Amino acid sequence: MSEALYFAASTLNEAMKLLGQYGKKAVILAGGTDLVPRINIYGLKPGALIYVGKLGLDYIKEEKGRMVIGAATPMAKIAGSKAVAKKAAALSEAALQAGTAAVRTAGTIGGNLANASPAADLATPLLVLDADLSLVSQKKKRMIALKDFFKGPGQTVLQPGEMIKEVSFPIPKGRTAFVKLGRRKALTLSVVNAAVRLEVNRKKCQEARIALGSVAPTPLRCPKAEGLLKDQEISKDLIAQCASEAMAASSPIDDQRASAWYRKKAGAAVVAKALARAAGLEME
Amino acid sequence: MRYPLAFYLNGLPVEAMAKATDTLLDVLREKLGVVSPKRGCDTGECGACTVILNGEPVRACLTIALTVEGKKVETLEGLTQDGKMHPLQEAFHEHYAAQCGFCTPGMVMSAKALLDQKSKPSREEIVEALSGNLCRCGCYNEIVEAVEAVAHGRRKE
Repeated sequence: MSEALYFAASTLNEAMKLLGQYGKKAVILAGGTDLVPRINIYGLKPGALIYVGKLGLDYIKEEKGRMVIGAATPMAKIAGSKAVAKKAAALSEAALQAGTAAVRTAGTIGGNLANASPAADLATPLLVLDADLSLVSQKKKRMIALKDFFKGPGQTVLQPGEMIKEVSFPIPKGRTAFVKLGRRKALTLSVVNAAVRLEVNRKKCQEARIALGSVAPTPLRCPKAEGLLKDQEISKDLIAQCASEAMAASSPIDDQRASAWYRKKAGAAVVAKALARAAGLEME
Repeated sequence: MRYPLAFYLNGLPVEAMAKATDTLLDVLREKLGVVSPKRGCDTGECGACTVILNGEPVRACLTIALTVEGKKVETLEGLTQDGKMHPLQEAFHEHYAAQCGFCTPGMVMSAKALLDQKSKPSREEIVEALSGNLCRCGCYNEIVEAVEAVAHGRRKE
């Protein structure tokens, strides 16, 4: 196959059939904001483009205490959703800060995850929300926890022929927060980002989640740091201790955006800021 | 393999043949002779190719052309009506908001997408809406002032 084929699937079944047929030669096209630069500049030569923008996977709904988001929902729609802002602030904030206006209108939640960048903006908030992905292929359907989805930079558990259909998470009882540090304010990849979720009852932390982006081969959960918060009253000291424990779990690299050294130092401040925000403490 | 493509360009139906990997920018510039969207980086970083697709700003260089089948695309060429400039074009002119002009079409289209959705944005909202458009001449203040002038009716007469 010298020149790529193009298919605009009109149903999910048709998309899955095409994906099954073209297997490893196929690439899934949604918003294109990650895929197209690879074609334009970085020499990617796909055998077939399978466009999934017409499958009706563009929705945000609530079902049985869960928020369910179609894989082809653009980040702009998530950023503009009042329900997401109210119930999952971290996801809303991450979507608002992703790329820039003309990238958010096209780039989708499914693409942001499937592209598996260690710096993917939506990955950390979805990790702290305990999100699950519904994966579909011609042969089977399966649910997988987002924490088990990433395998390395650009690598996921997705098999050839398989795609993300939707992302869902239980609507959290507590508060969530997301903090991103980039080289600039706009149109920048994270140097480090952190999302947290805290459920506090009678001043004691009942449940905590902390996730870090851009400081490891995949977006990272930090169970040890989370454990420090369990059944504790959240104080500035505890936040500082917890932030340093979270960074101990990271393994950042030197790259064009920042050095590993800087990521470790700045990351602790980013985690502390996110924790303080979710706990309603003034630290900034 | 080339595929037929039909969409609306500045209100008029157009047709072209496109490869699977052709972008909207390729089709506009190289097949339809619409050259206001500029090819800067071809990776979505610079904003010089920004056009409006079904009412929303997008990067033409990141948009696979065949996905715009049946959709409405607006470019700078559509702003001038009966030989008369659009208020944004006039304001850019009056406020000296262009030096080399390479970023200008993308800037104007990003600004138009904002004003179409919100007629009186604040300065912060204007800055945010234009934050993905780079101007290497550094005309940012003049550009933001031009958009503010249109939004708040402070155009020079």
